[in-house]
Amino acid sequence: MKWNGIAWILMLGLLVNCKSNEEDLSFGKLLIEFQHLVNEDPASFDKLIYENGAGNPYELSNIQWFLSDVALRKKNGEYLLIEGEDWIHYVDTDLPQTHFWEIQQAIPAGSYTAIRFTFGIKGEKNSPNRFANPPESNMFWPYPMGGDEGGYHYMKLNGFWLNPEEERIPFNFHLGVGQIYDLEGNVTAFIQNWFEKELSAAIVVAPDQTSRIYFKMNIQNWFINPHVYDHNEYGGKIMNNQEAMGKIKENGMDVFSLEIWEDGSTK
Amino acid sequence: MVQQNSYFDHFLPGKVYYRLLMVVLLTATFLYSCDPDTPAPVQEGPTAFIFPDVQHFPTQLNIPEQNPMTVEGIELGRYLFYDGRLSGSSHPDSLMSCASCHIQSKGFEVGIDHPKYKDGHPFGLPTENYPEGKPTPHYTMHLLNLVYNSNGYLWNGMIHKSNERKGPEGYEFMGDDYLSYKYLESLVWMSILAEHEIAGSIEKTINLIGSIPMYKPMFTAAFGTDEVNIDRVSKAIAQFVRTIVANRFKFYKYVRREVDLTQQELRGYQLFFSEDADCFHCHSGSLLMTTNEYYNNAKDTVFDDPRDRYAITGDLMNKGAYKAPSLINCEINGPYMHDGRFKSLDEVIDFYSHGLVYSDYVDPLMKYVKENGVQMTSEQKADLKAFLLTLTDHELLNDPKYSCPDELGTFGIRDYAY
Repeated sequence: MKWNGIAWILMLGLLVNCKSNEEDLSFGKLLIEFQHLVNEDPASFDKLIYENGAGNPYELSNIQWFLSDVALRKKNGEYLLIEGEDWIHYVDTDLPQTHFWEIQQAIPAGSYTAIRFTFGIKGEKNSPNRFANPPESNMFWPYPMGGDEGGYHYMKLNGFWLNPEEERIPFNFHLGVGQIYDLEGNVTAFIQNWFEKELSAAIVVAPDQTSRIYFKMNIQNWFINPHVYDHNEYGGKIMNNQEAMGKIKENGMDVFSLEIWEDGSTK
Repeated sequence: MVQQNSYFDHFLPGKVYYRLLMVVLLTATFLYSCDPDTPAPVQEGPTAFIFPDVQHFPTQLNIPEQNPMTVEGIELGRYLFYDGRLSGSSHPDSLMSCASCHIQSKGFEVGIDHPKYKDGHPFGLPTENYPEGKPTPHYTMHLLNLVYNSNGYLWNGMIHKSNERKGPEGYEFMGDDYLSYKYLESLVWMSILAEHEIAGSIEKTINLIGSIPMYKPMFTAAFGTDEVNIDRVSKAIAQFVRTIVANRFKFYKYVRREVDLTQQELRGYQLFFSEDADCFHCHSGSLLMTTNEYYNNAKDTVFDDPRDRYAITGDLMNKGAYKAPSLINCEINGPYMHDGRFKSLDEVIDFYSHGLVYSDYVDPLMKYVKENGVQMTSEQKADLKAFLLTLTDHELLNDPKYSCPDELGTFGIRDYAY
């Protein structure tokens, strides 16, 4: 009888302890809104109003791009992967519904210090035929130019620029897997041009609320730093030009930024 | 002997025993019902058609929930697709159906050598205003793989679920009380009324089809009763058209590693999927050989077609833009472009090589417009053409399941190639 009573007390204590732990685990939601800017202003499309670092007047038509491996950095330096390893998000300036990524995963409430992501898709995940349906499937990158680990464009940025003769010329600023060619024009190797980036910010996920993060692409920066990109030098097409794509990859390092809502990042 | 005080007894009061018993009984019942040897209940009504997965094609199918596919509906649709009495007349000179302009041996297009429609340009049945028949404003599009397209039908994509425009009222159609422009099904009533097609009336068509004894059991099998109405006629034809899947062409088999391409076809393949010929940006994305998007492909400098993509979106950059058609069967389904201006595949290749013209509305993907095209040599053109010929689905062109039923007799619109 005595031992039975002690057992009951121990069990009760255990239950109380479990309950208090459960109360500590609260969750919130995260909404990432994608914005496309030219410098500080929202991008205007189909207007020849911009000038890149090389002095080329240019206009934007549309942009489609992928981001993947998105993770929140915790205060202890660990990362919380968002929506699993396989998730790839597609953004298309022509499709407003892609500008909002309402993350389904419940995020443990608390403070995070950064977002880490991959611009584009890493090779092992970028297999041909990964996406069966449009619009993602229309990002297809041809097998001869990408091989088994280059199934999709990372980005299509389309527009026009004015050449020195003042002619309005289309450009396809497309980034994906690059190629090394031999003298006879045969592909001898592929180059992965995706890149990882970490953006620091004080991100607060509040319990039972949806926190909003503005994820910004400054289009102008694709053309400036560290390489001044000149459309007159590379022309309208670069998918088979690793020199150009390599520069774009390096220019991409300061293209993205975050903005957190002032009221503690929640809405 | 049952122990009076087993380890779990404290936690299993009488009610719990009862509940546990119920759970065991329910589980046993469930398991018994799942036994494969247990005969399935006899199912009444039409047989559901399960659309097979097609590797390398989209998995999202454009099948409205108001019109689920059934084996019986598809078969009825095949009859109606080919029945010239869809025109509402049984007179030999007034027969017209979908098959009048969508010829199986031509990849379900008109074809350049049509005996009646010169240069592949169809026209409607004669009317008072058009005794010779009114020509169609655009040339015919093929009917291949439409089930995989959710981005609008027709050259300008007018037929789309987002289209709120109302057609004639007073008809029940796809769950609405008016005829709409939202679905593949919509093209049936539109074709019956269009002056450049049947130029008829829905009542005449429905009355005539409803008077044909052969159809009564077919409508019953497909829809439960023998009632004939525009909703059912449209649904059945659309079901049949959705089954027209072209995936047995050589390049498809090459991707599946079932066949090899010749050296010339391989060179053409490399060209097609390179920036040198740059076909793939508009004609790939999957093995449908189209993105199903809309482009101004640098054909013109003046745009006065009231039926271009701009007419649908109101976006100036869509002036002169049309859907990029699938290149499957491009070998045999000319004439080409929305206005049929190119009569042969060679003309199309020449156009993209040397014939592009600049306008303010040209799509940015047409990046060779300043050079008037991709500037292919004659050898490259031959290589590219060799590759394009690997996109012909010869099996589809002769597949009996898509052909005119013999039972239609003289009312069936036969394939002119046979």
